Amino acid sequence: MLRNLCLELEAGSFVALLGPTGSGKTTLLRILAGIEKPESGQVFYDGVDVTSLPVQEREIAFVYQQFVNYPSMSLFDNIASPLVVGKEKHSKKEIRKKVMEVAELLGLVEILNHLPEEVSGGQRQRCAIARALIKQARFIFLDEPLANLDYKLREELRTELKQIFKDRDGVVLYATPEPIDALTMATHVAFLHEGNVLQYGPALDVYRNPSHTAVASYFCHPQMNLFPCRVESRDGGYLLRASQELAFEVGLNRDALPNDHYLLGIRPHHLFLSDPQNRMIPFHSTVELAEVVGSNTELHLRHGEIRMSLLMQRVEQFPVGKELTSYIDPNHLYVFNKETGAFVTRTSNRSE
Amino acid sequence: MARIELKSLTHRYASSRKETSSFAIENLDISWEDGTANALLGPSGCGKTTLLNIISGLIRPTGGSVLFDGVEVNERPTRDRHIAQVFQFPVVYDTMTVFDNLAFPLRNQGIEGKTVNARVREIMEILELDTLANTKTRHLNPAEKQIVSLGRGIVRKDTVAVLLDEPLTVIDPVLKLDLRRKLKLVQQELRLTMIYVTHDQHEALTFADHVTIIRDGAIVQSATPEELFLYPRTPFVGYFIGSPGMNTIRCEKVSDRLKIVDSELELPDEIAHKASHLNGTIELGIRPEFVETSPDEKPNWNRFTVRMVDHAGAYQVLTLESGSLRIKARVEDHSSSREGDSLWINTPHDRTNVYEDGELVTL
Repeated sequence: MLRNLCLELEAGSFVALLGPTGSGKTTLLRILAGIEKPESGQVFYDGVDVTSLPVQEREIAFVYQQFVNYPSMSLFDNIASPLVVGKEKHSKKEIRKKVMEVAELLGLVEILNHLPEEVSGGQRQRCAIARALIKQARFIFLDEPLANLDYKLREELRTELKQIFKDRDGVVLYATPEPIDALTMATHVAFLHEGNVLQYGPALDVYRNPSHTAVASYFCHPQMNLFPCRVESRDGGYLLRASQELAFEVGLNRDALPNDHYLLGIRPHHLFLSDPQNRMIPFHSTVELAEVVGSNTELHLRHGEIRMSLLMQRVEQFPVGKELTSYIDPNHLYVFNKETGAFVTRTSNRSE
Repeated sequence: MARIELKSLTHRYASSRKETSSFAIENLDISWEDGTANALLGPSGCGKTTLLNIISGLIRPTGGSVLFDGVEVNERPTRDRHIAQVFQFPVVYDTMTVFDNLAFPLRNQGIEGKTVNARVREIMEILELDTLANTKTRHLNPAEKQIVSLGRGIVRKDTVAVLLDEPLTVIDPVLKLDLRRKLKLVQQELRLTMIYVTHDQHEALTFADHVTIIRDGAIVQSATPEELFLYPRTPFVGYFIGSPGMNTIRCEKVSDRLKIVDSELELPDEIAHKASHLNGTIELGIRPEFVETSPDEKPNWNRFTVRMVDHAGAYQVLTLESGSLRIKARVEDHSSSREGDSLWINTPHDRTNVYEDGELVTL
């Protein structure tokens, strides 16, 4: 269910519709593409109201999660199909030229003669993307196209897709639950939460300046750590207390913040296992699990009732239950309203 | 629990309709030490599930031996091997409580009630299932059911090993973390011999102390996660493990001196020296996280141009180019390098692996 959504997307942008399952991103995508009709409201393409225009009459391309290709046609014919069935007439030579261009872009030239079932999942998805590109449609919609591919393939395709969709004239809309997709590929991010667009803007802006805990914690890879904290003003600064042991003074970008309980946010890569410059906040923690993710280790820690993730940028193993001292970098704290989740302030910080 | 070994294991499959070549495992030697957490990692179709079936006795290998604590068990039927298995889908008796599910294998053996109860309680505590003891398993979520499946396997004290085949497949992402934690905790606490089969390197490297990478029925490398990461035996392992994968740089000997193919760049002396005595096809491997970068020129560092900047939240990945050579480097999240910028690069020799004919050269 979507509610009162207003979005204005610029030509030349790659917009990630980011949000967890059920947040409404796929519904929004389908409505914008014309596959579904909104109950109320309008959709405009280049200023023209297309709300009632059926999808077949819109010049759009849609890539599904399920690598939809015609099973009995070769990859060549699959890719050519939008040109063959489209309204415009193209000569065989023209079609061949365009197919080769797009196949080259997607690394499919050598397998163009194969059937979809004869090639890998990644290649089938590339074929589906090639079909979407060949029409040179002004609006391209992709619904979690990498979801069914394995880890390494996703990693490769992400950077490829970014290059492929660069320097285009229309708008690319990409629905995904993965923050890393948005960070790697998108120029802009619309963050969806329970049917609302909570925040929209240039990708890095939204990432660095989240307006709400929902955005801050989700649009962070791994998720931002959030836990309750008492904030009290002290001469010139504030005392933050999250637990018996975890209490410290910081400067915040806000004068006269009312003494109250708030939610404190800190990203996993701003937690450390050592403090060579002696400027961070130490606290005792127990290892719940060390997860190896790519070239990093995500250390799941417990400090009393508080659970946190610490991102180590190397591969290292830790036994479950190991006790160690962890450190919080006080320069990178976010403060959010405990009731509404709205962003309140952050620690005064020279870098970034 | 026991030590499990496969010696000179050979097995042939008739090819299925989809595969174009017949499948084979040829002369495989693997050993899994008693009480260790292990993973068999490889893409679909590489043979890992076949190996599990050979260990459990479901399949008889065409050649070689399966040994438990040094004793050959090829002739032993599955029910006498005491291998516990956890599959993709939980295997529990839906209408029975958690307690009864766990008690079942013991009651079946005719073990006395008091002993059964004590043992079940012990296992439930370790598995953090005590609060669910009287709940019928059909009310449990898939992750909880998997823990019960595991419990049923380990409640018998004569269990030799636990084999897991992609146990997290049907588990919701939100519940995966806790299940991973429990599996690791239980293995640690009870010192179980566990073999975890998966195609997901995240699963394998998180769970296991020892990982065996299999490809096309053969072992590519068998090592700890750190070793796989630092010293991948082949460029494939270097690429497969880690994100992004290891950079591979092709080299050639030009008048007895090692040079990078199609590049004017000079190799640092220590590296050229490392590989000077080699004669086959030479490749250098260095992980993006070990490539050193500097916006300012530095003596003996090479100049590259930034071609792509990929943000990954906690860090950035830069794609760098010099002539036809492209490598990736990992830099800090607040790096301000832009496309087109020049960057000076150093590849520390102690972080650079040398490969001859596709194999890591250890010096």
